[in-house]
Amino acid sequence: MRKWQVMVVTLLVTLGGWFGFSVTAHADADYTIATDTTFAPFEFQVKGGQYRGIDIDLLKAIAKKEHFTYQLKALSFNAAVQQLSANQVDGVIAGMNITSAREATFDFSKPYYTSGVVMAVAQKSPIETMANLKGKTVALKTGTAGATYAKSVQAKYGFKIKYFNDSNNMYNDVKVGNSVACFEDYPVMSYGIKNGIPLKIVSKQHDAGDYGFAVKKGKNAKLLRQFNAGLAAIKADGTYDKIINHYLHAKESTLTGETANSRTFVGLFTQNLGTIGNGLWMTLKLTVVAIILATILGLILGVLGVMPGKVGPAISSTIIYIFRGMPLMVLAFFIYIGFPDLIGHGFKIPAFVAGLITLMLNEGAYTGAFVKGGFQAVDKGQMEAARSLGLPYWAAMRKVVMPQGIRIMIPSFINQFIITLKDTSILSVIGIVELTQTGTLIIARNFEGFKIWLMIAMIYLIIITLLTWLSNWVQRRIN
Amino acid sequence: MAVKVQVRDLHKSYGKTEVLKGLDLDVQDNEVLCMIGPSGSGKSTFLRCLTHLETPTKGQIIINGHDLSDPQTNINTVRENIGMVFQHFNLFPHLTVLQNITLAPVQLKKETPEQAEQTARKLLAQVGLADKADVMPTSLSGGQQQRVAIARTLAMHPQIMLFDEPTSALDPEMVGDVLAIMKQLAQDGMTMIVVTHEMGFAKEVADQVVFMADGLIQEQGKPADLFNHPKSPRLQDFLNKVINI
Repeated sequence: MRKWQVMVVTLLVTLGGWFGFSVTAHADADYTIATDTTFAPFEFQVKGGQYRGIDIDLLKAIAKKEHFTYQLKALSFNAAVQQLSANQVDGVIAGMNITSAREATFDFSKPYYTSGVVMAVAQKSPIETMANLKGKTVALKTGTAGATYAKSVQAKYGFKIKYFNDSNNMYNDVKVGNSVACFEDYPVMSYGIKNGIPLKIVSKQHDAGDYGFAVKKGKNAKLLRQFNAGLAAIKADGTYDKIINHYLHAKESTLTGETANSRTFVGLFTQNLGTIGNGLWMTLKLTVVAIILATILGLILGVLGVMPGKVGPAISSTIIYIFRGMPLMVLAFFIYIGFPDLIGHGFKIPAFVAGLITLMLNEGAYTGAFVKGGFQAVDKGQMEAARSLGLPYWAAMRKVVMPQGIRIMIPSFINQFIITLKDTSILSVIGIVELTQTGTLIIARNFEGFKIWLMIAMIYLIIITLLTWLSNWVQRRIN
Repeated sequence: MAVKVQVRDLHKSYGKTEVLKGLDLDVQDNEVLCMIGPSGSGKSTFLRCLTHLETPTKGQIIINGHDLSDPQTNINTVRENIGMVFQHFNLFPHLTVLQNITLAPVQLKKETPEQAEQTARKLLAQVGLADKADVMPTSLSGGQQQRVAIARTLAMHPQIMLFDEPTSALDPEMVGDVLAIMKQLAQDGMTMIVVTHEMGFAKEVADQVVFMADGLIQEQGKPADLFNHPKSPRLQDFLNKVINI
């Protein structure tokens, strides 16, 4: 076998392995249940990457009582809800308020917690009541009871609204003064403040609502029955109260296992080394496999693009047009959530595979465009000379045009590799816990935004530097 | 003598511009035919039609008994028997001189790599470049590159060779070496069609000279007749210009 054939076979085997792994990981559990990533004390990540919180512990206790197993999937609240309606997960437990709008698409369990919405402001803020909000900006997290409540009183108090996808970014916006206040469920807000969020609660609880566990309407009736029965059982035997008290009355950091002297840059780094390492590993895996797949696709598109006749070039430019023109995030959502929804029948794509397909199509389209350009930049006389010697088109392409074209393309390839590495960060939106998402999760529990983002940025720069060195070395060897 | 190349009523248009307006031509085995004429008269286009680098708009080309306009004809097989030498050499810059020559014979399984290398070294010696086998083409002068290009073409053992202004891109002092090799080929009996501005070469080597202008053959005959007794005013005018520089 030639070198490239060995490479392709290795790649297919590796991919097959990953596919197999993700499928079996799915099949092991009875259910897949999604939760939010940053909604302490209901769910949050602790040291070592595990999820803890009221929702997580309740689910665990209920599952034990009812003898079912589940795989937990931590996504953003929005992604969790979307995936439930797209049948990608069986249930969602994420401090979700039972509302009539949601009851149109989901079936809810009996309420497992009741809470109200409070307004919080920065510690030194002069704002004391909602009447002070006129003309100011308020930060909200999409899909929460806080957002619903604030929207309902917006006209009355005349404030502007800015939306965020997770709680931590919303708190930060208030902390740095971009927004003057945020609205959040009381237990979440008070827990956060107790654990170091520099905000204060200035209102009483409004619009008290119930939290419920949700399944898609008409589906998973058995899971819902099990949840209700288990909830009743743990309420009866005192487990429920124990869990609630544990989280609501815990002292700072006893839950996350962090100590005060670990808040220096180095301290934070060593303490989160495992989590960051896992995120980095995921980023590298995505990058390497995506680069290989995108390069293969790009070469195919490039060759099609310079083929004689009209069909090849037309196919090539259409594919390039579609996937280069679509924002990466839209493509990721489409493949992960839209596509399974279209197919139906409970069809699921593991997030990692969806992420790879997304990167392959997007980066492959860009690669295809410059590969085509590179082939076209090879002097026409080269093809003519090769054909005149009697070489068939493909032999002339492979032996004469491609080797010269690829040399022209090398700087573009290096550039594309670096872009691919950075683009993996966008895949955090479909719940892949890569380096960027790791940063979000760590900050969600320790609120050290500056230090952690600095750390993450430095790691990206280091990998990109290494990648550039490697590419330059390859380039020198080829020339 | 057998007819090697037979051209009937050959037309070629690019959009609305007609470059070849109906050419008829026969080339016999072992014959050397030189084509002369002003730039833009269609000489190069004619040669490119013979190797099917251009598809004729109308007309018939029969080479070695293969009809090029017949869709059943395998153009690659026909091309193996016609060698083409380009004005700008078109050597493959990513391959060594030796690899340039062995690529086609090995790819098309005409020879084993060992045989092909042997042939290539022999041909390089023939064109006076035995010591350049392992260098890259870009390190050679224009004249040397053209001699390698001729060797590359010869490696396929063609029955007919086409030369498209082989010396036009060369420095004057390089022209002689290339023409000497072509002369040798002619003496060895190669069938050749040469588009050239080298009137001396045409006079000395050609069996037949064709004068083209405006997409048509204006005059055709033995070099002595054509150069010494041009009949048409077009040819008289052309010869006056090129000879009295």
